[in-house]
Amino acid sequence: MTTLSQRFGPAPPPPAFTVGVGGWLRANLFSSWISTLVTIVLATAIFFGALGGIRWLLFASDWAVITDRAPLYIVGTYPREYYWRPEVSLLLVSGLMGMAWRTWSGPARWFAVAFGAIIFVVALLPYSMPVLNRALLLAVPLAIGAGYGLFTFIRPGSRPKWFAITGGVSLILCLVIIAGVGFIPGLEPVNESEVGGLMLNLLLATFGIICSMPIGIALALGRRSRLPVVKIFCVAFIEIIRGVPLITLLFMSRHILPLTFPENMDVSLLYLSGITITLFSSAYMAENVRGGMAAVSPQQSQAAQALGLKQWQTTLFITLPQGLRNIIPAIVGQFISLFKDTSLVFIIGMIDLVEIGRAGLSGNIEFQDNGMEVYLFLALVFWVFTFSMAYISRRIERSLGVGRR
Amino acid sequence: MQNTTDAQATQEKDKEAILALPLDQRDDIIVCENVYKWFGNFCAVRDVSLNVKRGEVIVVFGPSGSGKSTFIRMINRLEQHQRGRIVVDGIEMSNDVRNLDAIRREVGMVFQQFNLFPHMTVLSNITLAPQRVRHIPREEAEAGAMQLLERVGIPEQARKYPAELSGGQQQRVAIARALAMRPEIMLFDEPTSALDPEMIKEVLDVMRELAATGMTMICVTHEMGFAREVADRMAFFDEGILIETGPPEQIFTNPTEERTKAFLNQIL
Repeated sequence: MTTLSQRFGPAPPPPAFTVGVGGWLRANLFSSWISTLVTIVLATAIFFGALGGIRWLLFASDWAVITDRAPLYIVGTYPREYYWRPEVSLLLVSGLMGMAWRTWSGPARWFAVAFGAIIFVVALLPYSMPVLNRALLLAVPLAIGAGYGLFTFIRPGSRPKWFAITGGVSLILCLVIIAGVGFIPGLEPVNESEVGGLMLNLLLATFGIICSMPIGIALALGRRSRLPVVKIFCVAFIEIIRGVPLITLLFMSRHILPLTFPENMDVSLLYLSGITITLFSSAYMAENVRGGMAAVSPQQSQAAQALGLKQWQTTLFITLPQGLRNIIPAIVGQFISLFKDTSLVFIIGMIDLVEIGRAGLSGNIEFQDNGMEVYLFLALVFWVFTFSMAYISRRIERSLGVGRR
Repeated sequence: MQNTTDAQATQEKDKEAILALPLDQRDDIIVCENVYKWFGNFCAVRDVSLNVKRGEVIVVFGPSGSGKSTFIRMINRLEQHQRGRIVVDGIEMSNDVRNLDAIRREVGMVFQQFNLFPHMTVLSNITLAPQRVRHIPREEAEAGAMQLLERVGIPEQARKYPAELSGGQQQRVAIARALAMRPEIMLFDEPTSALDPEMIKEVLDVMRELAATGMTMICVTHEMGFAREVADRMAFFDEGILIETGPPEQIFTNPTEERTKAFLNQIL
C-alpha cells in the first residue's frame, strides 16, 4: 500500500519572500509604497530621537537628584530610627516570594531571584547605613530561601492555599509593622504623613488590590441578586462611586468623613486613603466581574442545576470561576490603574513617590533643572511594577487557558 | 455504611423484579397530565399528557420549534410548566424546593451542546455533583467516576479538560456525568445533533447499552435507526401538541396521523 505522500511526493516549498526574515520585512514594513514611506519616515525619526536621547544620557544628565535622595524615594520621610520596620516587612515579602517560587516555579522563580539580587546589590552600595539596617537588607536572599525551604514541607497540592493564607497574614503584618499600633511596645505609631515614597504607593496598592477583589465580587453577586434591597444597595453603591472622581472621593474622605466620626476618634489618613482607594476600585471591579459572569453561557448553570446543584453552588463552582477567568485582563488592568492612582493621595497631603520627586525639584535650588531625570526615574519605577503585573497576568491567562475553552 | 449497602441491594432487587415484568404491568415513573407551557404569548407546549413506564425508552421527535425540547426540560424543571400536572417517581412537581431537589437527583440530563464545565477536568466534571449534592467522599466519587468512564469507553481521558476531547468523547463524558448521580431517569436533548457523523455512532452505542440496563430514557433525537432499534415507544410533537405515540414499527409503517407520515417522509 502506498501512502498519499508516496503517490504525490513531498509538498512543494512556499513562494520566495513569504517566510523568514525577508517575508516578515515585506509583510510588515514594505507591503505597499505607503507603508514603505511610513517605514522610512518613522525609522528616521526614531534614529534621531534615539541619538538625542543617548547624547543626553551620556553627556548632559545628572542623577544626583535621585542618588542623593534615594531613601526619600523609597520610604518618604519615615523616621530613620524606625527604618528596621519597613525592612522587616521587606523580609516578610521576600519570604512570600520564596514560597511563590516553591509553589509555581517558572516566572515566580525569576521574580524571586531578580528581587533578591537587586536588594542584595542595593545593600552593598556605599551609603552610610547603620549595621542593623544593612544586615536586614542583606538578609533578603536568606528570607527568600527560608520561604522556599518552609514550603518544601507542604504537600504540593495545598501550597497555593497556604500561600494565600500566609500571604494575607504577612501583608496585614506589614501594614501593622510599618504604620505601627499604639498598644504594642516597639511599634509606636508613625505620623501619617511620614509613611511615604514608593512604600506608600505599594502599601495602598497591595491593600487595595487584595481587598477590592472580594468586595467587588460580593457587589457583583449582589447586583445579580433577586433580593431587591441587596440589589438596590449594590447598584447604588457602584453607580455613586463610579460617578465620582477618585480625587473627589479622597477629598471627602479627608474633610467630610471625619465629621461623622465621634469627637475624639482619630483615624489615620493612611487608613482613610486606603479604604477610599479600595472602595473606588471595588466598584469598577464589581462591573468587571458582572460582565465576566454575564459572558458565561446560561447553559452552564442549567447543566449544573440539572445535576442537582443549588443556586449558590452553581455560582460558586460554575459561574464565578468561569466569569473570573474571562476577565483576567480586565482585572489586571484595574490593578494597574489602581497602582498608578495611588499617586493621587498627594491631594490630601500624603507624600508618595511622585510627590517626593516633585518636592525634590521645587525645594532644592541645585536640582531645579533635573526634572527630566526625576520624571524618567518615576516613569521607570512605575513601569517596572505595572509591567510585572501585566507579565504575571499573561502567564496566569496562559496557564489557565490551555485546553480549557 | 452496611445499612445503606443493604438498602441499595434491596432496591436493586426490587428494580430487577420490576424490570422482569412486561412493560404494561410496570408502574408509571413519569406522569404528565394536560401540561401547558407558554413563552410570553406563544404556547410552546399544549395539553400534553404522557405516561412513561419504569425502564421504558421513549424517542421524542418532530420539527424544530415543536416543543419537544421544552417538554423534556419540564421533566427536571429547567422549564416550569404553567398548567397541568407532572409527577416524577411519585414526587409531585411543584414550587416546593425539597421536591425540586429530590426530582433533580432522580433525573439526569444530557444536552445537545454537552455543556461540560470547561474549567474542570473530565474527572472533576463527573465528581462535582456526587460530592456536593450526594456528599460522597472524594475517593469514592472518583472511583465511581472511573468506572463510568470505563463504561463509556474513555477512562484514559480522565485528567484532560473538555476542550481537549472530540465532540463524541465530550458527549460520552456528559452521559457519565449525569449517570454519576445514579438517576432513575435519563433525558437526552438531541444528544447527537452537534456531532460529526463519525462520532454519532459512539454516542448512540453508549445510549444503546444504557437502554439495555433498563434505564428509563426519554430521548429527543432524529436518529431514526436508533429509534427503530431501541425505542419502546415514539412520540411525535408538532406545534406544541403531542400528535401521536406508538411503538416504532407502527410509527414507521403505519402512523395514524397524516402529519406524522408527512414529517417522516421528509426526514427518511
